[in-house]
Amino acid sequence: MQVFSIPKSIKENSRFTFCPGCDHGVAIRLVAETLDKLNLRENTIAVASSGCSVFLYNFLDVDCVESPHGRACAVATGIKRVNKAVGKDKFVFTYQGDGDFASIGLGESLHSALRGENITAICINNTNYGMTGGQMGPTSTMGQVTTTSPMGRNREYHGFPIKTAEHIALCDGTVFSARVALYDYKNIINAKNVIEKAFMAQSKNKGFSFVEILSSCPTNWKLTPKQAHDKIENELIKTYPLGIFKDTTNE
Amino acid sequence: MSKELIKGNIAIAKAALKAGLKAYFGYPITPQTDIGEYLSYEMPKRNLAYVCAESEIGAINMALGAATSGEKVMVSSSSCAVSLMQEALSYACSDELPLVLVNVMRAGPGQGYIYPSQGDYNQAVTGGGNGDYQVVVLSPSTLPEACDLTQRAFYISQKYKIPTMLLVDGLLGQMAEPVEISESKYPEIDNSSWILDGAKGRASREIHSLEPSQYKLNQHIVSLFKKYKEIEQNECDWEEYMMDDAEILVTSFGTMARYAKSVVKDLRQNGIKIGLFRPKTLFPFPSKRLGELSLKVKHIIDIEMNMGQMLKDVRLSVLNNAVVSFIGKPVGDWLKREEMKSAINNIIKESYASI
Repeated sequence: MQVFSIPKSIKENSRFTFCPGCDHGVAIRLVAETLDKLNLRENTIAVASSGCSVFLYNFLDVDCVESPHGRACAVATGIKRVNKAVGKDKFVFTYQGDGDFASIGLGESLHSALRGENITAICINNTNYGMTGGQMGPTSTMGQVTTTSPMGRNREYHGFPIKTAEHIALCDGTVFSARVALYDYKNIINAKNVIEKAFMAQSKNKGFSFVEILSSCPTNWKLTPKQAHDKIENELIKTYPLGIFKDTTNE
Repeated sequence: MSKELIKGNIAIAKAALKAGLKAYFGYPITPQTDIGEYLSYEMPKRNLAYVCAESEIGAINMALGAATSGEKVMVSSSSCAVSLMQEALSYACSDELPLVLVNVMRAGPGQGYIYPSQGDYNQAVTGGGNGDYQVVVLSPSTLPEACDLTQRAFYISQKYKIPTMLLVDGLLGQMAEPVEISESKYPEIDNSSWILDGAKGRASREIHSLEPSQYKLNQHIVSLFKKYKEIEQNECDWEEYMMDDAEILVTSFGTMARYAKSVVKDLRQNGIKIGLFRPKTLFPFPSKRLGELSLKVKHIIDIEMNMGQMLKDVRLSVLNNAVVSFIGKPVGDWLKREEMKSAINNIIKESYASI
């Protein structure tokens, strides 16, 4: 009996090209497993963005369009709306980094939530701009050393990090907003369940659903994969507590 | 069908609906806001997609997403706000996505003001975003033509998978003229081979501009330019007026050309052998035809409502030593007919004096 296989929504013979210990691969796999489980693959249009998350379409075997940096939720809005106008109910989700969703694209992200766009956004939060080599982003934590905050993030020069999932939960158009992590087996299983809930919210036409995934970035954090996951468990969740901040799917 | 007296912006919106518009995304900016206002009523009435976007950046990116459906998608905006859309236009060109952008120009630079102007010729035809690319730019001179070119914009955009801009000056957007809005005369394009509609019973599709392979990126850009060549061969459009025996040629586009035309007519009555050449497609620019015509004339006078932006394309098209002069004013308040006539007369006098 086969108990473990590659999800149907992952391209055949694809190999993740992310850095060793990076959680992107796990996150994409969870998305693929959930698409399989909910039988959504053949009705899905995914929106990739800029940064490490852009490579989504190299691995995921669904129709996919790349968005300009930060604009994924606007692109997804257009896809969802025009298809609805011609009688097609498509499943539309974005896959973005924290810089994409919560920095350059905060306007598009927040307004999509406020309008209650019936789309799902997955945001990989690794507290830095990963692809460009680990610069400080709005999600970098206080004291975090990056290539553009060499003395550590501080209030005087850099201000405070954004708690994205909590902000999105405040929007009336949001039906589901949660933060999960992938540092151990238990959290990975939980993350998959949460992604499923977010996808279900869209399938029920309830409004904007959002999952922030705390992810490791060992290369830029200058840590081993194990140390990076320990950092998430011991430090990051103090700034970014895990949990479901809003769920009105069944109301 | 009967004619109705309507404003340019409304006529463009109506023509788009008649062409089968399925999604509109917009953000207010004078002098094009009535397009969005009109469609905010008409689109929901038909269960079509309409979003008051949070910004022009939001609007054009919604259009970018909607364009992946292959349906007819439109955004409208004006000058300084079209500047905000340049990034997404660059993406749409590389992604080869069809969308129509109506740019009802106001005066710049910066905020400028809401006076009519043709100051965005350069931005439109040379591409205001990054990279080697072009968008198709159509320039109407009257409202009936604006309606026709709106529908043609959808056709060209879908046929060649390219963003297409209807470049209108604020005057045309705001003035009223009798116009008959008819069904589109252009054929429907089959988009089924490339649209994103869920990978059912076929391999999944990716639409992206990112290309890490140097070789493939080169190939991609070269193929885009082959397409632009094809568009030039098939879609170049222009008007010639009283050119048969003309010795002096006036070049002008948009509403300015309409004015220049009446001046040409007046000067003909004074016995001056003058004619008009008006490009309707600014990209592709009808260089070949203008080049042929330049061989028959001694003098070319370019008239624009800017500081001479199309002038460069006119000069590049000229194939002989014809003198090229410019008459223009960058903002609003047109050159009066008599001013334009005396400017042309002065240029003619100087030109003959120097021979």
